[in-house]
Amino acid sequence: MWHSERIPLLLAFVQSVLVVGWCFTEMEAGPGAAMSTQTNGDQFKIEGRAIVPGVKTQDWVSTARVLVDGEEHVGFLRTDGSFAVNDVPSGSYVVEVVTPTYRFEPVRVDITSKGKMRARLVNYIKTSEVIRQPYPLQIRSSGPHSYFMKRETWGWTDFLMNPMVMMMVLPLLIIVLLPKVVNTNDPEMRKEMEQSMNMLNPNPELPDVSELMTKLFSGSKGSSKAGSSSKGTRPAAKRRGKHSGPSRAKKLSMQNNCADLDSWDQ
Amino acid sequence: MAKLILLWLKCVILYNAVDAVFEDQVGKFDWRQQYVGKVRFSHFDTHVQSSKKVLVATENNVFAALNTRTGELFWRHVDKSGPEGNIDALLHHGQDAILVVGNGRLLRSWDVNVGGLNWEIVLDSGSFQKACLVGQQGTVKNVAVLKKNIISLHYLSNGHQKWIENLPESETVDYQTVYSGGNGEVYALGIVPHSHVVIIAYSTDDGEIIKQISVEAPWLSNIVASCAVIGQGVLICVDSATPSLYMCDLHLNTHDLQMTQIPLQSLGLEVAPDFQPVLVSHQPNSAHQPLSEFFLQLGPDNFLLLQLNNGQIVTLRDFKPALLVSFATTGEKTIAAVMSPKNKTACSINLFSAETGRRLLDTTLIFVMDPNGGKPEKIYIQPFLKKDDSVGYRAMVQTEDHTLTFIQQPGRVMWTREEALSDVVTMEMVDLPLTGTQAELEGEFGKKAAIQDGLMSMVFKRLSSQLILLQAWIAHLWKLFYDARKPRSQVKNEVTIENLSRDEFNLQKMMVMVTASGKLFGIDSKTGSILWRHYLEDVPSNAAFKLMVQRTTAHFPHPPQCTLLIKDQDTGLTTLHVFNPIFGKKSHVTPPALPQPILQSFLLPLMDQDYAKVLLLVDDQYKVSAFPSTKNVLQQLQEMASSIFFYLVDSSQGRLSGYRLRTDLSTEQIWEVVIPMEIQRIVSVKGKRPNEHVHSQGRVMGDRSVLYKYLNPNLLAVVTESTDTHQERSFVGIILIDGVTGRIIHEAVQRKARGPVHVVHSENWVVYEYWSTKSRRNEFSVIELYEGMELYNSTVFSSLDRPHAPQVLQQSYIFPSAISTMEATLTEKGITSRHLLIGLPSGGILSLPKMFLDPRRPEIVSEQSREENLIPYAPELMIRTEWFINYNQSISRVRGIHTSPSGLESTCLVVAYGLDIYQTRVYPSKQFDVLKDDYDYMLISSVLLALFFATMISKRLAEVKLLNRAWR
Repeated sequence: MWHSERIPLLLAFVQSVLVVGWCFTEMEAGPGAAMSTQTNGDQFKIEGRAIVPGVKTQDWVSTARVLVDGEEHVGFLRTDGSFAVNDVPSGSYVVEVVTPTYRFEPVRVDITSKGKMRARLVNYIKTSEVIRQPYPLQIRSSGPHSYFMKRETWGWTDFLMNPMVMMMVLPLLIIVLLPKVVNTNDPEMRKEMEQSMNMLNPNPELPDVSELMTKLFSGSKGSSKAGSSSKGTRPAAKRRGKHSGPSRAKKLSMQNNCADLDSWDQ
Repeated sequence: MAKLILLWLKCVILYNAVDAVFEDQVGKFDWRQQYVGKVRFSHFDTHVQSSKKVLVATENNVFAALNTRTGELFWRHVDKSGPEGNIDALLHHGQDAILVVGNGRLLRSWDVNVGGLNWEIVLDSGSFQKACLVGQQGTVKNVAVLKKNIISLHYLSNGHQKWIENLPESETVDYQTVYSGGNGEVYALGIVPHSHVVIIAYSTDDGEIIKQISVEAPWLSNIVASCAVIGQGVLICVDSATPSLYMCDLHLNTHDLQMTQIPLQSLGLEVAPDFQPVLVSHQPNSAHQPLSEFFLQLGPDNFLLLQLNNGQIVTLRDFKPALLVSFATTGEKTIAAVMSPKNKTACSINLFSAETGRRLLDTTLIFVMDPNGGKPEKIYIQPFLKKDDSVGYRAMVQTEDHTLTFIQQPGRVMWTREEALSDVVTMEMVDLPLTGTQAELEGEFGKKAAIQDGLMSMVFKRLSSQLILLQAWIAHLWKLFYDARKPRSQVKNEVTIENLSRDEFNLQKMMVMVTASGKLFGIDSKTGSILWRHYLEDVPSNAAFKLMVQRTTAHFPHPPQCTLLIKDQDTGLTTLHVFNPIFGKKSHVTPPALPQPILQSFLLPLMDQDYAKVLLLVDDQYKVSAFPSTKNVLQQLQEMASSIFFYLVDSSQGRLSGYRLRTDLSTEQIWEVVIPMEIQRIVSVKGKRPNEHVHSQGRVMGDRSVLYKYLNPNLLAVVTESTDTHQERSFVGIILIDGVTGRIIHEAVQRKARGPVHVVHSENWVVYEYWSTKSRRNEFSVIELYEGMELYNSTVFSSLDRPHAPQVLQQSYIFPSAISTMEATLTEKGITSRHLLIGLPSGGILSLPKMFLDPRRPEIVSEQSREENLIPYAPELMIRTEWFINYNQSISRVRGIHTSPSGLESTCLVVAYGLDIYQTRVYPSKQFDVLKDDYDYMLISSVLLALFFATMISKRLAEVKLLNRAWR
């Protein structure tokens, strides 16, 4: 869809560049029209070579054929991969190398009534558009055909890598494993744990960052109305923490009101 | 832009939604059989002693190498069909095979081992006569090609022309054959019928004429038919009028050369009356002279082995009766093989020393003839030397029905190839019968039984049938148990006619195939094994066939019945062959003799008292005859006559006409449409398939209203092509006509287009494909017919009462390939979405969803079209190899695709035939009614088990906890 919308635009540009090639096609219409009337005209030969990179020709040539316009003319591949289709009258043809295993792109070959040959990319939508290809044809396989869909297999990894499962499993792991890793008997540690757990819990009363920043800046400017509201306690606590120094107090600054009160008690 | 990208994404998703074959499904329910056609030339590859190849060139323009051990193909090359790909000659030397193709147009050399082309050259024009290998000093280096007026010599290594010479007096002299004895000379032999023979010797080196002699032979008309070269270059001819043999030595350099006459009577021989005697000679190596022994056939079953000894003809052995003879050489030994009839069903092949005519010991081979096959036509012998220097051999026998049978001593058939199947004309798929037990159960609930029997006998019947079921089940279990003990390799589930039965989902069917040679086959659709074959001997070569299933297997105990209509296309005379499609046996029902040419034939939905559908045949006097024509049928016909309509097509006069049946089985014409012959001609007329079901009457639109389909079962799609083939003025027309009233529903013309046109007509749509001469591409066009938002008469469709013309929608698309044939999938109830199966020249069968060929595909996407799941219009249809239902199993020259519903709604059985036969199943809407074959039984059962144990354990734990709490 999107491709077909874009490519013609691009091609129009290419065409305007390849004016010479364009003229050639216009000329082409003449002999093409005459083709059907001249029944006993000259017969020409389409030549080329098909290449499958990395595969010996003996392994695939016996199943390959060269089809010109469907089965209108048929050619066979030589043991070195080259081919020639004989007895083709002038006209415009789509040449295709067909094998059950490898994929080859079709090429359009134009033959003038004088036997002048030209190869170009096949474009069924803009039939007169010319993107030159080498002649004698050099058709390179773009890899093996893909005939099969991949089955949706069920594996443990697929299950585990599922985001929903990950979201469920990771907190579970933390809940189960962390108490084992960290020594919970130490009261200090426990306290810290509790606090960090609290940190994990999103606080509904936590102000959003922008608000916090404005508060912070306004506070630093001097108008310190700390403790006037529940929201106001936070910067105040922070400042106090800065003064008192210990790292414990710094952590406190991020806690909710309850924790604040605790620290006050201390 | 963002919208466009979104659209494109959606497109991609939809494309992906269509299912394809999975890799593990390969060969699971599909099979392919590859054929080559009727063998014209055959050579055993002898250049390596252990070679397993036999080269065949066939009348279907195929050149292939077969494996002599299995009969499978090593490789195969399919040339263009028609005279341009016709194989005129096959010569074999070492590992090269030389073919002359297309009436001497091309000379090709193939590498036998690889199956690749060595070289190909174009020869000068001229009608081909004969080619032969030319040797010199014991080695073969050249090939000579004789045409009507020229002779040329080419190098075997690269095909380059060594020399070319015009034949002298080629206007009057008919040069027919070329011969080389390996002595540096090539002889061209020509004839002026009933006057003289012209012998020209060319030098192999430069093509110089060494000598030119003419020999008086007023009795001779054809060299190829009645002459042969034997021994040291002696031309020997046979004349049936005198009757005598004539000889002359080609090497003699005198100008007054004479043919020496040897009357056959002097040898004590006699020619069978009205028989043209035939000479068979043999040249073991092209670099050496031929044998001086030769066969002379004096009658249809009389052969003589003769020898030329010092200018004298000696009779070595008289073979009578003998059917076929053949020479073969291995090493230094040349043997003659003779096939003679043993009894009615078997022939024996014996070997004889070619030099002495003595019979070789232990060389008898019995060839059992198939009573349903043809007579032997040709034998090819592959001799080999055993360790004790005696000669052993294998034989390939070709019979009239195109079958190849490869036999080993003492008569073991190694393989058979039914080459008639390379030319399937028409086919049907017939349901398999129920097994005895199934049929018993069915019979119990039959209507007749319930009325006749009382209560007690019904109970008794019930019990007995249950008992039978139990018995069958136990037998099945026992078989399972028995098979389980045997090693897996020995367990074979071979399908034979005896154990054929319908499976649960009716996926296995009998494929009844009719071939052009007149041989009928019954093939099991699951395995592809041929279950029965029947050769019809008196089928004319240009016959047209029509196969109809008159009675299916559903009417036990009446046997199923098929009728094959065989029509001679020249005279129009028709014969009927009535047979049982499951066993292939000819039916006891005698078909009516049809003295008049038949114009039209059709099956009515009426049935006679034996549940056979009625076949009506219309002859050229427009009289109708019925088959079967019992009193019951005729009575039914009289009642129904007023509602039986039929149409006739006369494409030679461009006339379509509709007729109605009268009660006295005469007809009256009710409409006629004439398509002017000067402008266009009728190419094909397509109706709908009678066994097609349409499930939904309409389409639900985006705004929740319903657009009703125009489902006219009598609609015909008539395709016409312009007589003017100029690419600016040619056109393809399509006319939709109601077959009952003759009303033209719609007409469409595709300008600047030409055929071949492929049409599929189904439901409310017609899809056709043509070649656009303006843009030089193949295009698809789809026409859909709708009644509109309201249905005129929703209960029944009548062509006579349909006042509103349907709405017609049409859209066209570009298709990036030529196509060979096209068919639509078919399912039991028509719920499943439809796909088009398109046979491509590359050998793939593309399954294209009908969704892509929908004239309602919008150019601008709206909310409603999105609601309807319409794909936005794109001019080009894509060919994706994932949609090939036959993955890499390409099918050469697909001529037809047969689709048949199975018992499962989701599944459609597909058979593609051409040179090959391919059978598979397709699931157009995926398998929605059965568990998929990749269903993870392990997962579901392990999850279930785990849950079960978890509940058990947690229950126990809960109990313990409760107890503990109670104690607290």
